[in-house]
Amino acid sequence: MSITADQQPRTMLGAAEAPAVKRSRPRDDLTAYLMIAPMVILLGIFVMWPLVYAFYLSGFEISFYQAPEFVGLQFYRYVLEDERFWASLGVGLYYAVLVVPAGMFVSLLIASFIKTLSVRMASFLKTTIYVPAVVSTVVASVLFVFIYQDQGLANWLLGLLNAGPVAWLNSPALALPAIAVPGIWLGLGLTTLIMLAGLLDIPDSYYESARLDGASFVQRTWYITLPLLKNVLLYLFVTGTVAALQMLDLPLIMTNGGPVNATTTPNLFIFNTFRDGSEYSVSFSLTAALLLFLVLGGISALVFRLISSEKAIDG
Amino acid sequence: MTRSLRTALVKWVLLVLISLSVLFPLAWMAIAGFKGKTEVLSSPFQFFPEIWNVQNYVDILADPQFARSMGVTLLGAVIFTAASLVVNSMAAYALARLDFAWKRFWWVYCILPMFVPMMAILLTSFVVVTELGMLDTLAVLIIPGVASSVQMFFIRQFYLGMPMALEEAARIDGATRWQIFTKIFVPQSGSVFVVVGIGSFLAFWNAYVWPILTITDPGLMQIMQFLGTFRSERGNEWGLLMAGSTLAALPTIVLLLFFQRFVVAGVRISGMK
Repeated sequence: MSITADQQPRTMLGAAEAPAVKRSRPRDDLTAYLMIAPMVILLGIFVMWPLVYAFYLSGFEISFYQAPEFVGLQFYRYVLEDERFWASLGVGLYYAVLVVPAGMFVSLLIASFIKTLSVRMASFLKTTIYVPAVVSTVVASVLFVFIYQDQGLANWLLGLLNAGPVAWLNSPALALPAIAVPGIWLGLGLTTLIMLAGLLDIPDSYYESARLDGASFVQRTWYITLPLLKNVLLYLFVTGTVAALQMLDLPLIMTNGGPVNATTTPNLFIFNTFRDGSEYSVSFSLTAALLLFLVLGGISALVFRLISSEKAIDG
Repeated sequence: MTRSLRTALVKWVLLVLISLSVLFPLAWMAIAGFKGKTEVLSSPFQFFPEIWNVQNYVDILADPQFARSMGVTLLGAVIFTAASLVVNSMAAYALARLDFAWKRFWWVYCILPMFVPMMAILLTSFVVVTELGMLDTLAVLIIPGVASSVQMFFIRQFYLGMPMALEEAARIDGATRWQIFTKIFVPQSGSVFVVVGIGSFLAFWNAYVWPILTITDPGLMQIMQFLGTFRSERGNEWGLLMAGSTLAALPTIVLLLFFQRFVVAGVRISGMK
């Protein structure tokens, strides 16, 4: 489960600084540079430069005649003072709260179930559970908009309970939860498979002795599975939250942020501001995107370090 | 009934129930495609169509824009997948097995984009491709995404795990590093290339936000862009829309079922996504 092969690069990377005497074979500078060149150049043009450019446009003003001047912090102030930005962060957090814990809970249940199955049954279920993961968010959006129609499936199900009909996507209170449902559905496959891999790493002997002591399924889950799955759960929780905070496609297609901005996630706010057209809105949206990036990038770099430096399970 | 038989039965029931509920929305979409105009959203509610009618599927396939979008997206996805395998596996091999100046720097440089959220560079990437005159070309859909830190990382993980002995032997026989890569490493990379390649294909096929920013030419309109546009312009033609969505989702699902062994194992191979 953990990324273990990192031992080797560390020694190989170390070799770059080691005294040349210790090297037994010649270096491969030319071949290596030719091989990384396409990647380095493409990343340079389409990732690094846009990133630098974004910081530049958002803050610095550089001219030929004088030293680079730091003039643009006001954009950061504008964004931080903008209520719509904070409202969108609130929407993003609410979306994460709706999607992440529920998705993890369902995944844990399904993964625990798959673990008890025979090889053939397990492989069948692992595949079916993964099918939604390959479906595009656009198809999922269109499909769930159809399901949420006044005379659609969701209201028919409510009707069976003698409730409804409800205007799912037109109600400020219900629109975001309604969008969270396809969000969970799309993410279920990957979360379950990662959870299952974590479960399979837990030695069977733990469960056997617990069973001999008469522990129930709930007790076994609570006292053995969850503590030993701690790092996997932490990883899924953090990456899931980071991904949920960046949700763009579902609200973009299903509601375009409405009703009354109830589904305007941070990225949708930035995207729509950018598409406003005026010059001011470009700088504004860039700055908002960078502020979001500093937080999210920091979180995911931290988790990546945590995961690659430690074993996934300390049992 | 014995205890073990009862357990087996419960497992089968659960298995079927979970599978059905996970796949149900997709089945619902496909079924809606078979319904006529009046029954697709009708009151009283109808679960199955009165008559299973393939008219929607025939009509959407006959729509020249739909067919064109499917074709051009498929073409782009194939080129994109091939190009990203070449670019990322070369860098992965160099970073896994070669010793060169500034290696640590280039490693950090190549892996850093993994932590840059899409939105932080989306807007300026758009400015960059505009300045490069790439708007409304197939290239703008393909080239910017070819180099991928995530894919390079996983191929590198795989290469780090390959035995050193094989490579040393080839070295002694006088093979160059490039020959070792193309003759030994690439032929062994089948499983990891399938996993990573499917990732590329899906990313391209399912892309929406980048195409709507960069493509306005109907001749290059991507399939997800087509569905998004169809939904906003002809949103009440649900039968057609559901038939189109089903057909657009089909290639990705077929791909998964065909390579399911690799994909499901890939989640484990790659550690944590």
